[in-house]
Amino acid sequence: MPQETILVIDDELIMRDGCSRILSKEGWSVLTAENGQRGIEMLRARPEAVDVILLDLMMPGMSGMETLDQIRGIDPDLLVIVITGYATVESAVEAMKKGAYDFIPKPFTPDQLRIVVRRALERRSLQREAEFLRRERERSLKDVAAEKSRIRTIVHSRGDGVLVCARDGYLVLVNPAASHILRISTEGLMGKRLAEIGLFPELSKVIAEIIEGRDGGYACISQELTLGDGLKTGRVFLRAHTCPIRNDSGELLGSVSVLQDITPLKELDQMKADFIAMVAHELRAPLAAVEQQLVVVLNRLAGEITAKQEELLGRAKERIKGLLDLIKDLLDLSKIEAGQIIQYKERLSLSEVIQKVVDLMKPEAEAKRIDLQFVSPLEGSWMTGDRNAMEGVFTNLISNAIKYTLEGGKVSISLGEEGDFLKATVSDTGVGIPKEDLPKVFDRFYRVKTPRTRQVVGTGLGLSIVKSLVDAHLGRIAIESELGKGTTVTVLFPKEMGNVSTPS
Amino acid sequence: MGKKILIVDDDPDLVDAVMTILKSKRYEVVAAYDGEEGLAKAKTENPDLIVLDVMMPGKDGYVVCKELKADPSLGSIPVLLLTAVASHIPTTRYTQQMGMETEADDYLDKPVEPEVLVQRIETLLAK
Repeated sequence: MPQETILVIDDELIMRDGCSRILSKEGWSVLTAENGQRGIEMLRARPEAVDVILLDLMMPGMSGMETLDQIRGIDPDLLVIVITGYATVESAVEAMKKGAYDFIPKPFTPDQLRIVVRRALERRSLQREAEFLRRERERSLKDVAAEKSRIRTIVHSRGDGVLVCARDGYLVLVNPAASHILRISTEGLMGKRLAEIGLFPELSKVIAEIIEGRDGGYACISQELTLGDGLKTGRVFLRAHTCPIRNDSGELLGSVSVLQDITPLKELDQMKADFIAMVAHELRAPLAAVEQQLVVVLNRLAGEITAKQEELLGRAKERIKGLLDLIKDLLDLSKIEAGQIIQYKERLSLSEVIQKVVDLMKPEAEAKRIDLQFVSPLEGSWMTGDRNAMEGVFTNLISNAIKYTLEGGKVSISLGEEGDFLKATVSDTGVGIPKEDLPKVFDRFYRVKTPRTRQVVGTGLGLSIVKSLVDAHLGRIAIESELGKGTTVTVLFPKEMGNVSTPS
Repeated sequence: MGKKILIVDDDPDLVDAVMTILKSKRYEVVAAYDGEEGLAKAKTENPDLIVLDVMMPGKDGYVVCKELKADPSLGSIPVLLLTAVASHIPTTRYTQQMGMETEADDYLDKPVEPEVLVQRIETLLAK
């Protein structure tokens, strides 16, 4: 805090000295002027340097009243305490009317002077503080306005649609991209209630859930939406992320939804799937013909062949079969991606599905002297799923387990429950997977390559197909493995709704 | 001469291979290279059995089979459907299902093993 300064304007030297002495002792800085003229000059030179003025009303030359007028003209906020020589109430009242802050009648004691000046200084300090706060407020208002304008510009220039919904369900901010993507005019969106605009029901539902603060309401919800008719052309695919908006104290204010047009991505994806399907079909036909021809030759229907020829042709046939398997997996994958494979969801018993696959796999296991076991203590194990897909999942998992388990090993399958999920595990005592490879096993075309797995034939697509199928059933898959000890794959599928047993 | 078998497949190499198998068993074999031709030859050639490929451009095996079975003069000819692996997971169940729906009398996955093919054909012919 800078030292407070008091200007004493008085024609009497004894008064100036007296005041200076008393006030300096308080730690205040004192300036003096012997007449009004001089006082005004000093003020004009540095108006901000003076906090309070002690002004004698009875002075020769420029009168006290006139000086007061001029002081007020320089800075109306300056606090002036008038000193009234003859203690006439009239002059004091007149000075107060003209804007003096206080008065002190002569003669006065040092204490009286200190009290009056201290009060004025306090007032001055409050005045300064108020002024400071006023400026601060002005500046923050300006900042807020600038920030608002900045955010508005950012939001409005974005290619992604932005919808902000207040807690009461009214849309309070919509950018042009949102109006374009939703094909609704900005006027048709702004200030309208969520329920009255023709928004996607799925999106409205999610926004409503968030602004009502259901399920804790802290999470962002992402969804994919399709706009337009069922035709391939003119269809728009959107990804919508909706997040709650909260203030500093965590109070829910509303929601913001960001809409992204992902149609080009979807189109690319479709082209990719079409391309894979096309290539696979084109490759398959000639390979199938070659395979059939080899079968005919190997069966000696085209004449006798030597043992060496038989061996070579037999290997050729195996290689072709490998290629056909790869094509089959590729087609499966492109079908799963196109959402074509999960078409016939039905109520099914998972233990029944697994049992069937286990029975089918028995010969394969027996050929390697592998002990294949399935234990299910579950009675019902009902879920909703595509039977083919479920069989595919377990055929893949069990055949993998058998493939990567050495002769005389063990493959065990169990089925149980975990919360609202059915939990199936396929464990083997096989070669295992190195730790660093575990995160990659669900990747396409990924195969663990170790000296022990080199002879194993596979396409590297099996587990990625399994994962896609599990995902399509809202399930989860996890894998654990120890090198040389074995591998356990765990899959979870949601139980059939209404399957929960009610206590009787 | 043995019984007459009609093979319908758009792939000439496959037709040739299957024909070789059947001829080795002294069957008389005629070939058609698409669905339309298959239906036409079923009428003119009067075969005892039809080996029908599923995947064909134009009228595929399912359609041809349906039309054959719907025709009173051809409906009694046994149809053996040849399916390519790789259509769905798992293939066996899919082919079973499709075979039943299309009223085919039997089905086989490609590639066909000669003995299996001949044995299935003999079973169908004996009915």
